[in-house]
Amino acid sequence: MLILGIETSCDETAAAVVEVSHEHGIKIKSNIIASQHEIHNKYGGVVPELACRRHIENINPVITEAIDKAGVKLNDIELFAVTKCPGLVVALLVGLSTAKAIAYALKKPLIGVNHLEGHILSIFLEKPDLSFPFFSLLVSGGHTELYLIEDFGKYKALGRSRDDAAGEAFDKASKMLKLGYPGGPAIEKTAISGNPLSINFPRAYIDKDSLDFSFSGVKTALKNYLDGFIPPYSTSSIFLPDVAASFQQAVVDVLINKAFLAAKMYNVKTIVIAGGVASNKLLREGMKKRGTAEGVSVYHPSPILCTDNAAMIACAGYHRFIKERDACCNFYDMDAEAQMSL
Amino acid sequence: MKSVVIISSSPEESQKIGRAIGKLLTAGDVVCLYGDLGSGKTCLAQGIIKGLDVAEDKYLRSPTFTLINQYKGRMPVCHLDLYRLDNINEIEDIGIEEHIGGDEVVIIEWAERLEKLLPEKRIDIHISSVNVNTRKLIISCPDNRFEESLYI
Repeated sequence: MLILGIETSCDETAAAVVEVSHEHGIKIKSNIIASQHEIHNKYGGVVPELACRRHIENINPVITEAIDKAGVKLNDIELFAVTKCPGLVVALLVGLSTAKAIAYALKKPLIGVNHLEGHILSIFLEKPDLSFPFFSLLVSGGHTELYLIEDFGKYKALGRSRDDAAGEAFDKASKMLKLGYPGGPAIEKTAISGNPLSINFPRAYIDKDSLDFSFSGVKTALKNYLDGFIPPYSTSSIFLPDVAASFQQAVVDVLINKAFLAAKMYNVKTIVIAGGVASNKLLREGMKKRGTAEGVSVYHPSPILCTDNAAMIACAGYHRFIKERDACCNFYDMDAEAQMSL
Repeated sequence: MKSVVIISSSPEESQKIGRAIGKLLTAGDVVCLYGDLGSGKTCLAQGIIKGLDVAEDKYLRSPTFTLINQYKGRMPVCHLDLYRLDNINEIEDIGIEEHIGGDEVVIIEWAERLEKLLPEKRIDIHISSVNVNTRKLIISCPDNRFEESLYI
């Protein structure tokens, strides 16, 4: 079965073709991502109207490229999968309307996918034999959430951010440090030559048993530091790599500690990190090291599958399709939704 | 225009002040928040939203990414964040006018980006950092409701 996935929920215009077969499981045939980082870099964040305009320009060429690279024809596609929530509605609508039009014209089924489910299931594209249950630590610019994954379609939300997402904290810190957008990779790069122990930024754990996150405090601490309100009281002695490394360490420490607290509380031996921030090396390596010490297996998708992509949407779409086959032929009323949890 | 100056010495106190402000709001009020990154706009907004009797008050998340978060309180509440928007055209494109001037209480972070779209009748709150945890809040309002009731 050939599936075309389409994703336009935020920065990325993406399309991918995957093939599902008994022998090989789900196999990626093409995974095309047109990033808008260049335009957004100028603004220090995602600008919805710009994002929307660029999605419209990108969507057709990206789909054509995905089809060509996969060596198939649009007519061969048997199922269309598109992100319908959550995200910027104006951006989501570009992908959704395109997918509806193609599926309608070709008389093929179309399934709407929750972007978060796409991230959670992306690991199955590279590790199809992963067994349930596992924890999914989903960290990106818009989300920091911890789910217990019991089966396909069976997700229990155990914790999430009460204010800023981890990626948002990186973006805002990067803006304060004038390092550019997206903030995560910019801070990671600057941090390489810095000492993560040089500044003790606060780690917010809320309370002992809480699996919720809070990253607004560490952002404020950085501001206080840059304003000269806390030692060394002078901005002249600031060494940017030390600040970036210490900030990154503070965010990553909290993510790791919460994920392992969850594993302990629920006695689950597998953690999967997903979402854009899952590409962060300090997070990956820190999680693996802790996992080895505590007998917990830690997995993460390749960077190309951590970022917003359409292969994960096709993958999640396939698993939904198996369960809700009938609903997929009646997609005309499907609408984009900004805020929707799993 | 009446102005009230309040000093908050912690995020918890800011939330308490926010809650008190929220209790004094009525349908159609527009609250504009100004201040740098990390000055505590979202923290104060969380307090205000709690003061508007919103039930799910544990997860009042930053609207930076989503732009608009909506809640059901005593009246509908709309929490906007214009941080990621660059100019007035983009702000118009997200349909901000649909929220202002209705029954909703509208809380806007980075309100200065609204420029001429800002309604004349509004509550302005300027937040500035005095030191690590201390914030100075200057509340300006066309009527005197805060002058009478905010000193608790």
